[in-house]
Amino acid sequence: MTPELWARPIETLAPAIRAGKLSPVALTEASLERIEAIDGKLMSFIHVSRHALESARAAEREIKQGKWRGPLHGIPIAVKDNYLTQDMPTTVGSTAPGLSFAMRDSAAAARLRKAGAVLIGKTRTHEFAWGNVTPPVRNPWDLTRVPSGSSGGSGAAVAGGLCAAALGSDTGGSIRMPASACGTVGLKATFGRVSRDGVVPHSWSLDHAGPLTRTVADAAHMLQVLAGYDPADPACQDQPVPAYGKALGRPVKGMTIGVCRNHFFDDLQDDVARAVEQAIDDLARSGAQIRDLHIPLLEHGLGAIFAIELSSSTAYHDESLRAGRVQHYQPDVRMLVEVGRLVTGPDYLKAEQYRSALMDEYRKVLEAVDVVIGPTTPITAWKRGEWTVDVAGRAESVLAASWRFTYPYNLTGLPALSVPCGFDRDGLPIGLQIAGRPFDESAVLRVAHAYERSHEWKDRWPAL
Amino acid sequence: MDNFDPYKDLLGLDLPPERLKEVLAAYGDILRDIRKLRELDLTDRHPAIVFEPTAPYRKGPKT
Repeated sequence: MTPELWARPIETLAPAIRAGKLSPVALTEASLERIEAIDGKLMSFIHVSRHALESARAAEREIKQGKWRGPLHGIPIAVKDNYLTQDMPTTVGSTAPGLSFAMRDSAAAARLRKAGAVLIGKTRTHEFAWGNVTPPVRNPWDLTRVPSGSSGGSGAAVAGGLCAAALGSDTGGSIRMPASACGTVGLKATFGRVSRDGVVPHSWSLDHAGPLTRTVADAAHMLQVLAGYDPADPACQDQPVPAYGKALGRPVKGMTIGVCRNHFFDDLQDDVARAVEQAIDDLARSGAQIRDLHIPLLEHGLGAIFAIELSSSTAYHDESLRAGRVQHYQPDVRMLVEVGRLVTGPDYLKAEQYRSALMDEYRKVLEAVDVVIGPTTPITAWKRGEWTVDVAGRAESVLAASWRFTYPYNLTGLPALSVPCGFDRDGLPIGLQIAGRPFDESAVLRVAHAYERSHEWKDRWPAL
Repeated sequence: MDNFDPYKDLLGLDLPPERLKEVLAAYGDILRDIRKLRELDLTDRHPAIVFEPTAPYRKGPKT
């Protein structure tokens, strides 16, 4: 596979495929070769599809007949191992006995297939998507470090050029954290925008489905296919789906960008702070009006997401808990499932009351600004096996630190995207988080694309 | 109630004493944040979760 081919984003692959200048079979073969050559180091795939080439050949035939389905037609895309798929097994990263998952397509997998995508394999997840390490996956920028999680396999696979894009899921930051740590784009759309039918639940009211991609335009292409009403997901909303491509290439001049100075700038690594402040300055120089703001209620958010996520996850795993199967879970996940039994009903509902209050605070903020930006995470990728990191001169657990800036958008359900905004002194990627109004993913994509176009971060690749 | 075990009987957590100690220790850090949440007066705030009795009747797109 030539470097040019594996390094190309969907936005350049798709026109070549449509014009007949690039064969989906050749592209899929190249992707499979790259997986064969590189994934022994990354460990990002748990399953590689036996049907990928067959799908690519079908795509090629259709396109030759003039039946191009759209930008994902013939593109190799990976699926996180917590999405059900009809032709690939689902394990949700667990080897616990007595668990089985249906061999049918999740709504997202079905939509990708309908768009002509080649589902190339399943990427590793932290067990039950309940963690931020994703063992045994390694970060492409430094194999001694984690890719973060829980969509760590998707982050590593996209960053390593093993596939053009991948599906992830995000309950407290599990798309955006690995996107930030691996140097990809990660998009969590508004809660209700993308169906979670067929995604193994972790926490029903916090779980989001969405893509990890190499570029912002690719995220727009993926969302275009994934977005839309699905009655099979009780939370999915029947909202119009705009043409996300129209958000791309537009300047930020005239937009107002909020910077929440409390919470999102508390205790973060120097290099992360420096890169994000530079990004804010760059957007200001591009003509956006920057407005500093404060949301004091965020101070109480961690207890709320813990109460909701722990109790929801434990409810989902209750049968396994009672049957003793959790003793076969990984130790960290087993602990969280057991701890969830200690969260009381009133604490859970108080967290839901808090959530309603926080949503109101954000509504007020987003009446005055178009988007809110800040760092995706306070830290860059940490060493495998490390459970605490140095953050602003003090030791903090990676569990607490890594999701501090992402979970507010799971509590509020607002759309949020991570786009690369630089590298730290060790050459590790840093993410800029952009969040917007409910169902206004277009504004998020517009700002992200404007920022991405004026920088060269997406053109850097890890040496693998 | 004889032999009443609050963890087992109230919370459904049936664990050996050593394991229970580990689980309680792990919950300690989280409880600190949940206590902070409890400090808020949210009496007049409706929770974000809203019961929707029409949910079972959702079949397809409105349009």
